[in-house]
Amino acid sequence: MAAEKSSIITLQSNDGVSIDVDRQVAERSMLIKNMMEDLGDEAISTAVPIPNVNESVLKKVIEWCEHHKNDPQPAQDDDSDSRKKTTDIEEWDQKFMQVDQEMLFEIILASNYLDIKPLLDVGCKTVANMIKGKSPEEIRKTFNITNDFTPEEEEQIRRENEWAEDR
Amino acid sequence: MAPLNTNTPYRGRSGEDGDSQSSSSNSPARADYEESDFYAGNNDSQSSIGVPTFQDMAVSEELKVAPANRLPAEVLIGIFSKLNNPQDLVNCMCVSKRWARNSVDLLWHRPACTTWNKHGSICKTLSLPDPYFAYRDFIKRLNLATLADRVNDGSVAPLSVCTRVERLTLTNCEGLTDHGLMGLISGSCHLLALDISGDRQITEASMFALAENCRRLQGLNISGCKKISNESMIQVAENCKYIKRLKLNDCDQFDDSAVLAFAVNCPNILEIDLHQCRSIGNEPVTALISNGQSLRELRLSNCEFVTDGAFLNLPPNRTYEHLRILDLTSCSHLTDRAVEKIIDVAPRLRNLVFAKCRNLTDDAVSAISRLGKNLHYLHLGHCGHITDNAIQKLVASCNRIRYIDLGCCVHLTDESIMKLAALPKLRRIGLVKCSNITDRSVYALAQARVRHGGHRIGVEDAAAYFGPGSSLERVHLSYCTNLTLKSIVVLLNNCQKLTHLSLTGVQAFLRNDLEQFCRDAPPEFTEHQRNVFCVFSGKGVNDLRAYLNQQSYAIGDDYDPRSVDDVDDDQTMTGMMGTTTLNGDEDGDVDADGDEDLENEDPVQT
Repeated sequence: MAAEKSSIITLQSNDGVSIDVDRQVAERSMLIKNMMEDLGDEAISTAVPIPNVNESVLKKVIEWCEHHKNDPQPAQDDDSDSRKKTTDIEEWDQKFMQVDQEMLFEIILASNYLDIKPLLDVGCKTVANMIKGKSPEEIRKTFNITNDFTPEEEEQIRRENEWAEDR
Repeated sequence: MAPLNTNTPYRGRSGEDGDSQSSSSNSPARADYEESDFYAGNNDSQSSIGVPTFQDMAVSEELKVAPANRLPAEVLIGIFSKLNNPQDLVNCMCVSKRWARNSVDLLWHRPACTTWNKHGSICKTLSLPDPYFAYRDFIKRLNLATLADRVNDGSVAPLSVCTRVERLTLTNCEGLTDHGLMGLISGSCHLLALDISGDRQITEASMFALAENCRRLQGLNISGCKKISNESMIQVAENCKYIKRLKLNDCDQFDDSAVLAFAVNCPNILEIDLHQCRSIGNEPVTALISNGQSLRELRLSNCEFVTDGAFLNLPPNRTYEHLRILDLTSCSHLTDRAVEKIIDVAPRLRNLVFAKCRNLTDDAVSAISRLGKNLHYLHLGHCGHITDNAIQKLVASCNRIRYIDLGCCVHLTDESIMKLAALPKLRRIGLVKCSNITDRSVYALAQARVRHGGHRIGVEDAAAYFGPGSSLERVHLSYCTNLTLKSIVVLLNNCQKLTHLSLTGVQAFLRNDLEQFCRDAPPEFTEHQRNVFCVFSGKGVNDLRAYLNQQSYAIGDDYDPRSVDDVDDDQTMTGMMGTTTLNGDEDGDVDADGDEDLENEDPVQT
């Protein structure tokens, strides 16, 4: 079955670059996989536009798909499984995610758009690990987020959620 | 307190970007491990992450925004759902309004009522007239089990404002009465599972309220609630047609009509546990099996009125492919005819318990053998008529058995055990009071294990490359009085995964120097029982092994490790209503033999 699918398809990034990929690799993306199934051979003969992803991000995503091309497909209703393991990330993925923050979020956005759940999962875990143990102010600094609470509001939130504080 | 008008928009909730304020059971909360197996259905917590829609990607106008701010709500939620520590979630809530909106329901999905301080603080927030968020609506699970011994109606009253609760766990809240429980139940039309096991003051008033309010109910555990009447349970069965899991242990007040009502009205029942519902007869049992289109687990232990008729009355020419677990412990009237019929109609049974069905003979075991590789778990303790012939036939057909108990099957000899030892997946074996068996059996158990793990290489290499080769974890040999130290040393050394070894009443082990590794005898034991008690578990097993090796009881045997085909390792299925969680400490559960009751299987490894 794998052999039958080993055709090459062309993806086109939003900055106009065409990239040839093994169909098996590209089909880690459920979006592309479904598209292939819907369009059949037509999709193989023409470039598939990926409107929200630029070349550098798309290449990075393909690198991940290449490495994970033989992973079992996640079951449709089995996403509770990924949550079980909290924030453990396998070593290769950890290294893969050692990129600047801009790229990290671009990968997450792209995996969300392309519907590559395991990659999205790794991305979310990576960000979660960056959040762990940080104070709100440290989190804001890390991700460059503006605090739009008034001091009173922030205090109210703290107070109302006091039960969740470690003590 | 006047009810809060939930239509009033909360300040923090006016999300302009469609942030998730999930009110369905689909909120992407973390899966829930601490809670009882009773609730371990996979029917919740569907994630919303990773579902691509083109609108989510409105990137172009936001290019100047910091990348973290471009994440769509579902991705933010996906990130927050990875945070296990509530402290981290509170910190996220304080970051910005958008982050708060997307983390608040994760934090409040299952608020941790684990201490009275936290409970008080949660209740205080819930009673605020003007909270920042409508926290009460985020609460989907409430579990007061850790506070159980001091829970009363007053401590649940502030929680009654939460009307979107789906899982309510009030195990062993003995101080709780109908007044408190009905407050929680009323208006809770989303309730899916209720566990009030051990809440002895609860009566039918609460059950009528449950039937009235909670029509989506799927799981109900009222074990030990002896004040609940038949009539109220019939009402529950008639109104709550989606019930899947039902646990009525020790409710001996129920007669056939209550259980029959569930059989007739609730076709989706997956698991039903009627342990010690002593008044139950044949009719509801027949009805449960024949009506339950997906019945998977049926437990009738100690339902002593159940006889062959319960099964012989099943319609001819129908099979029940979903039935996996059947527990008929102490249904002592059952004969081989019932077993034959059971195997005929339920060919995919995996776990079978016929302990103390003392009438059973080799014919029953012969029927059970027809289950072939489907059979993983078999308990025939106290089925004293069984002989070697039947066991040899069983092993020949059912080679995926992981757990077998043949305690008190006094006719069995080494011939049986040597066959059983070859079962490639055997993890637990119970042979208490099989007093004919000798060291040959123990050597067989030890050696077959090594062969299995050895894979064509020497024993030492096997240990180095494959780790402990044996799959045996628990071995019960109490009152196998012929056994000697020497065979046990070999067993210990060859079975590195061994976590339990019982040798009560075995003369060779009644030695003062071994006592230090032995577990303490249960407090209710008599002086005599204490004197012969000899059970090693956990660290005790390792210490015993080390000690005996130090005493240099050499392994004199020559092993012949050879390859055995490894069958793919599918897991033993244990039911969600497996007794472990609810019965608590296995150690406290002691058989009259002075050995443990083997029915309590631990949750199976992954």
